Amino acid sequence: MRKYWTIFKLSWQNSLVYRLNFVMWRVRSVIGFLASYLFWLALTGSNHQIGSYTQTSLLTYIFVAGFLRNLVFSNISYSACAEIASGDLNNFLLKPFSYLKYWFSRDLADKLLNLIFFGGEIILLYLILRPVIVMPLHLLAFLGISLLSGILFFFLSFLVSSFSFWHPEHDGWPLRFLFLMIIDFLSGASIPLDIFPPAIIKVFKIMPFSYLVYYPAQVWLGQAEKEMVGIFLLTGFWLVIFYLLTRLVWRQGLKSYAAYGR
Amino acid sequence: MNLKRYIVYWLKNNSLTLQSLLADRLSSILFIFGKLLRFSFYLGFLFALKLKIKLVTGYNIDQLVVFFLIYNLFDLVGQLFYRGVYWYRADILSGAFDFTLLKPINPLFQVLTSHTDFLDLPQLIIVLACLVIFLPGVSAAEALVFVILSFVSMLLLTAVHIFVAAIGVITTEVDHTIWIFRGLSGMAQVPVDVYSRAVRDFLTFVVPVGIIFTFPAKSLFGLLSVPIITLALFFAFTFYLLSLKFWQYALKKYSSASS
Repeated sequence: MRKYWTIFKLSWQNSLVYRLNFVMWRVRSVIGFLASYLFWLALTGSNHQIGSYTQTSLLTYIFVAGFLRNLVFSNISYSACAEIASGDLNNFLLKPFSYLKYWFSRDLADKLLNLIFFGGEIILLYLILRPVIVMPLHLLAFLGISLLSGILFFFLSFLVSSFSFWHPEHDGWPLRFLFLMIIDFLSGASIPLDIFPPAIIKVFKIMPFSYLVYYPAQVWLGQAEKEMVGIFLLTGFWLVIFYLLTRLVWRQGLKSYAAYGR
Repeated sequence: MNLKRYIVYWLKNNSLTLQSLLADRLSSILFIFGKLLRFSFYLGFLFALKLKIKLVTGYNIDQLVVFFLIYNLFDLVGQLFYRGVYWYRADILSGAFDFTLLKPINPLFQVLTSHTDFLDLPQLIIVLACLVIFLPGVSAAEALVFVILSFVSMLLLTAVHIFVAAIGVITTEVDHTIWIFRGLSGMAQVPVDVYSRAVRDFLTFVVPVGIIFTFPAKSLFGLLSVPIITLALFFAFTFYLLSLKFWQYALKKYSSASS
């Protein structure tokens, strides 16, 4: 356990070495949040009710989605696909630790760093924008489901990285690009999924992506009181499925790994 | 300036780019699929919105669709021709930019056009087809204004990419700068009029995504007056000249580090 704690600390220090890079990343993050917030503010300004959302609940959704983006989506483990593609994975296979746990430790450091900065930014934005925010009825349940979502995202993302074993071109970026496009929309990070017609919502709901942002946000808003247990169970179900799938694909990938580029 | 030399350079460079894209078809398909998904998701969202609301700050959803399509049109054209800016950071870091400076071709031209993103072409074709379907009847005068404002948009897009390239030379930071611009330009997927006055002014005169994306779409609905069009032209030329000045300044700061 101590070695992963050391990796966590080193990863934290590494992020802080490239300060300009990190600050620019945070600027991007704030602009993304502001763009989304101002869009929905404009939309709800001229329409007091959009579907089941009032202005207050919709803007709360955007704030909560902003938090979840930082908690769930913050990751540095996307670099694994480049390491596999370049053959740098060799360096790690020789070391006495689990590659999966190595990236998980680094992701935790990245999430914590991003959350700390997001905390400061969100307080500042709250003081400037002064929105009316719905407070959660079940804060612990929200935090619990958010943590599960973060772990689910890790396995999903790692699975995508593993694709580099078979297609190392562009450092594995093509599938990740597609993954990011899907995640951004189908997770509900940009748009609450229940804005769509019921038939489409049904399709969204059976996919694992909606458990990353949409459902945790519904838990915060108190709009999932009856579904709460189901949400936890299904998030757990997808987590186990993708954990097993990641392990399986990783083992298969290692068998076909030829360390191209080394 | 020897125009023929530039055309030959551009054609040669981009035929090589096209060959590399064709050589790795799976990657190209994944990229194209991702781009089309993003486009269709947002378009689907606008149609879903049509079932819930009628107007957004005076615009109906069909008009918002046209604004979204025009946004995509210029965003894609900008990326299609100036994708090179996304790629040249490594040259600055390694000092390989020295070789760009030594060639008998304007270095700015090389940086901007070194890579044409042919993967944007399928989406561009779809956007144009959608525009034909969704565009209301446009008068000859409105079409003429649209052409003028398209020129303004291209001039401003060129200037923005020059600014990003210049910042890259000075700070070695390119990726985040261009993505910050992309983040801000994403706000112009809807007309910038929907935002508050302060945000609207910022998006029009500081980071001019309002002029680049919203103005051409507004011209199609006959919503722009002659003084506004003149102002847009004046602003675009000034912005472009400033970007060139800034590029010259940045070149003087280039230290050829790591070379």
